[in-house]
Amino acid sequence: MEIGFIGLGLMGRPLARHLAQAGHALHLWARRPASLEPFHDVAATCHASPAAVAAHAEVVFTMVADAPDVEAVALGVDGLDTGAHAGLIVVDMSTIAPAAAQRIGARLAQRGIEFLDAPVSGGEVGAINAALTIMVGGKPEVFARVKPLFDKMGKSVTLIGGIGAGQVAKACNQILTGVGVAAVAEALNFATRSGVDAARVREALLGGFAYSRTLENHGQRMLDRNFKPGFKSWMHQKDLRIVMEEAHRLGLMLPSAAATAQMFNAMVGSGLGEEDSVAMLKLLERMSGRDD
Amino acid sequence: MKLGFIGLGVMGGPMAQHLLRAGHELGVWARRPAAAQALVDAGAQSFPTPAALAEHVDVMFIAVTAGADVEQVALGADGLIHGARPGCVIVDHSTVAPATARALAARFAARGVDFLDAPVSGGGAGARGATLAIMVGGAAGALDRVRPLLDVLGTTIVHVGASGAGQVAKACNQLTMVAAIQACAEAARLAAAHGIDFGRVRAALLAGSAASRVLDVFGDKMARRDFRAGVEARLHHKDYAIAMDAAARAGCPLPLSAPVWQQLNALMARGLGGEDTAGLLRLLEMP
Repeated sequence: MEIGFIGLGLMGRPLARHLAQAGHALHLWARRPASLEPFHDVAATCHASPAAVAAHAEVVFTMVADAPDVEAVALGVDGLDTGAHAGLIVVDMSTIAPAAAQRIGARLAQRGIEFLDAPVSGGEVGAINAALTIMVGGKPEVFARVKPLFDKMGKSVTLIGGIGAGQVAKACNQILTGVGVAAVAEALNFATRSGVDAARVREALLGGFAYSRTLENHGQRMLDRNFKPGFKSWMHQKDLRIVMEEAHRLGLMLPSAAATAQMFNAMVGSGLGEEDSVAMLKLLERMSGRDD
Repeated sequence: MKLGFIGLGVMGGPMAQHLLRAGHELGVWARRPAAAQALVDAGAQSFPTPAALAEHVDVMFIAVTAGADVEQVALGADGLIHGARPGCVIVDHSTVAPATARALAARFAARGVDFLDAPVSGGGAGARGATLAIMVGGAAGALDRVRPLLDVLGTTIVHVGASGAGQVAKACNQLTMVAAIQACAEAARLAAAHGIDFGRVRAALLAGSAASRVLDVFGDKMARRDFRAGVEARLHHKDYAIAMDAAARAGCPLPLSAPVWQQLNALMARGLGGEDTAGLLRLLEMP
């Protein structure tokens, strides 16, 4: 299949390579040509614009930072919509607001282009191991056509509902992982400052009701003081901003997520934005009077 | 001096009347002509578009609700930018995001027009009594030119800094004020839960270290269970989104404001947005 891929960063690069390794022909475009270099050894054609990618592909994936980036690629000057042929499928794997996904989907539909929102969870490791969780919004028949491609990138691929539903699921994911990583950091900091071995606490808790994937993985990285991303804190901050804006719009009370979002603000403001979200532990240590 | 005024609501209506009564020639524009009728009856001239009004005036005042409204009035098809002459000063009293104010100022500066962000605090009563606090961002020279006009509208006019600084100050105002209202509501709820008259608690507290304007004004409304809007809670809710977004952009943690924001979300969900923000007390009574 002829497949377009735009957004070849930490996440997009390994995902595009999985598709090439599965025998598909890649059509690529990147703002910075350097992003295209890792693809010289696979069947990939580089194009001058998103429009040109759209002209050559049956399915185009986008994996960029935020809604304005998706809009620029999909609907901007020389965007996907200007090069698209009827029946093209655009799959956006970025994390953006559900309302933004619906807006983009509606604009593309006017041009006869199908759209799926398909944000992911699992981070860079999940992308490299093709083990992502992919949450999809869109038409069932469009999902069915793209499903074999999703299966090359993720282990858990779920159609949640109509366009925007994937982003709602991702927002839920970010509430749980954001509040979760803050809770794990608080618990481990509490243990350490109480003079107890935090590693033993984690080990004990993994056997009980406090077990979580976050306690297991993020907790271990906190104990190892391994703050390399992973998933950068500024991205989690951005995702929680989306959540809180939606809550504001809907009149929803999310007190725990609101408090956690402020912790991520503090991380970004104090220079931890480029580190993994497990650096929440460092912030708590500083705020509790201990420097790392 | 020829003045223009757009946005003749609870705030803008009385403000425009003050300027008229001070002896200035005043032009107005309103989306719904009926909204301008009271001003026209008092001697203001009505214009068909913001652009036509801008062409006619030396100083232009805006007092609308949200950033999108200001952008529409300023940059829309018949917006101010298509009529304003070089040397004109635009004074925007609306509460919008600092980033929006900065972008508008840059657009108008390219046309030789000064744009001041000048949000106000004091509510409808402050507008009617000409006792507003006005926080101004933008060029000091432009503020000097309009200061005699602002003196007609308010008692405290502070030049906070460059473009956007007035809106940052307004965001600080809203955070400080609504958090205090929430604290006041919690105190009132605690008193009631112990069967104690909050009116007496308030009277005692006003003499001590917890005394504040909010305890005085909003505490009184809560004690009398008068939830009619001074300022509608939905407007505080709108302003909170601006403040919290400005905080996120700056990487600035606001750990207390965050849950207060959630209380405002809940207030909206319970259909209390049209009442006064003192209704935060009612929210605590219906968990």
